[in-house]
Amino acid sequence: MISHDAVVAAMYDAMRTAAIALPPDVAAALRTALAEETDPLARQHLAVSFENFRLASEGQGLICGDTGYPLYFVTAGPETCLAGGFRGLQQAAEEATARCTADAYLRPTMVDPLTRANPGDNVGPGMPKVDLSFVAEGDGLEIVACPKGGGSEIFGTFYRMLFPSDGEAGICSFVIDSIVAGCYAGKICPPAIIGVGIGGTADLCMQIAKKAALLRPVGRRNPRPDIAALETRLMDTMREAGIGPMGSAGVNAAMAINIEVAVAHTAALPVAVNAQCLVGRRWRAIMDAEGEYTLTGEMDR
Amino acid sequence: MDTEITHLNLPLSEDQARGLRIGQMVTVTGPVFTGRSRFHIRAIEDGIIPPLDFSEVNCFFHVGPVMRQEGDEWRIVSIEPTSSIRFERYGADVVRKLGLRTLIGKTTMGPRTVEALAEVGGIYLSKIGICGNQLAPQVTRVVGVHFLEELGKTEATWVFEVERFGPFFVAIDAHGNSYFEDLNRNLEDRMPQLRRRLGIPEDYQHTDVGGSVCS
Repeated sequence: MISHDAVVAAMYDAMRTAAIALPPDVAAALRTALAEETDPLARQHLAVSFENFRLASEGQGLICGDTGYPLYFVTAGPETCLAGGFRGLQQAAEEATARCTADAYLRPTMVDPLTRANPGDNVGPGMPKVDLSFVAEGDGLEIVACPKGGGSEIFGTFYRMLFPSDGEAGICSFVIDSIVAGCYAGKICPPAIIGVGIGGTADLCMQIAKKAALLRPVGRRNPRPDIAALETRLMDTMREAGIGPMGSAGVNAAMAINIEVAVAHTAALPVAVNAQCLVGRRWRAIMDAEGEYTLTGEMDR
Repeated sequence: MDTEITHLNLPLSEDQARGLRIGQMVTVTGPVFTGRSRFHIRAIEDGIIPPLDFSEVNCFFHVGPVMRQEGDEWRIVSIEPTSSIRFERYGADVVRKLGLRTLIGKTTMGPRTVEALAEVGGIYLSKIGICGNQLAPQVTRVVGVHFLEELGKTEATWVFEVERFGPFFVAIDAHGNSYFEDLNRNLEDRMPQLRRRLGIPEDYQHTDVGGSVCS
């Protein structure tokens, strides 16, 4: 049996670590980008960022001061037992988020959309957001905490209902227009991880785009060869756009373009883009049936 | 750091501002004040402006700092510039109303603010990389805070003394030039080639199913 306190502790530790540590796959991709860029300002954008990450890892600040939206992606198995049931996950996420905010790992950023009143703890209707999914085997719990930055979410979210006759040209046109718009003046903080969703309902399309951006290790291609080929073609093309780090002159507008698909209505071809910024914040807690957990920046999905 | 950096003192004089060019890297030393959306909306729609001498505290830093209170002291955890382009609706009015010569933020601002800066002799500085942790110790003093109760720590107006704060780059100069607009013109020239490479026909348009009331 996994206790409520264990879930809160794991969520807190994962979120706290995500706010101060750069995931290893993201760090490797940014090092490659720095080696490739030649424009002085493009290089400076990355060099300064690396210094920022170093300071954060030494306890002098955060990976990025906009800690954004508190998101938790939770995966359970068929044998997983939570004290109080799965309904307690939302409560646990709220406690962990409020604690991270009180300890200044998260900035109080979530406000009422109309009155703009700020409760000060990043907790409110719908937030923190807990995504729950299930795998075929297991009795543990996996928690990925993502403080998702405002820049990438606010300026890097695009959706369009295309139609079968729009075809792959429509998909490609929508995706590159979205990336170019998001990268203007560095709005989404390039080099970005671009998640693309194709198919599903509008909300599912955006959800798979978001998971493609946030949860897939950088450098891994979609296992379906035709989709992997499309990812590579879009990536190779974006490298010729002349857009570099933070919207400067360069080649690394994107460090990855990850496509996920869901079945579509026979009349429809919905496409969504959701960007993740260059810091790619996420940290994972892997918990056993007793509530013991380890933390890692590696993703194995 | 392989690039030359110009060190500027605040408040910036018109002559200094007019002498800067887009792409140039600079730091600033002197007093700055902070604000985001709420500052802009309230300043213009409601006339609510913090009681500051804007001829002295003349540099508007677009940021919501991560602040921690330790006893009576405020400590900066991280101070990451926020996207200024969001404030374009009110940016030009704020520049003219307060006579601002220095704006600091992330991204850039739009054509109306470019015009206002050219008019008053001011510049817009954009952040370099993710820099909030380097900037934090360059804030030498938290002078004060306004509207903390009503707006909270993120949207409140903080007044800081900063030293060799940056580096930033000049994204809008005092002559109507914009770094990112120049880059965008190059991109527009490249787009047809990118589309061809992806097999998008030259006359391709998404299927229009009618009924749209906005473009």
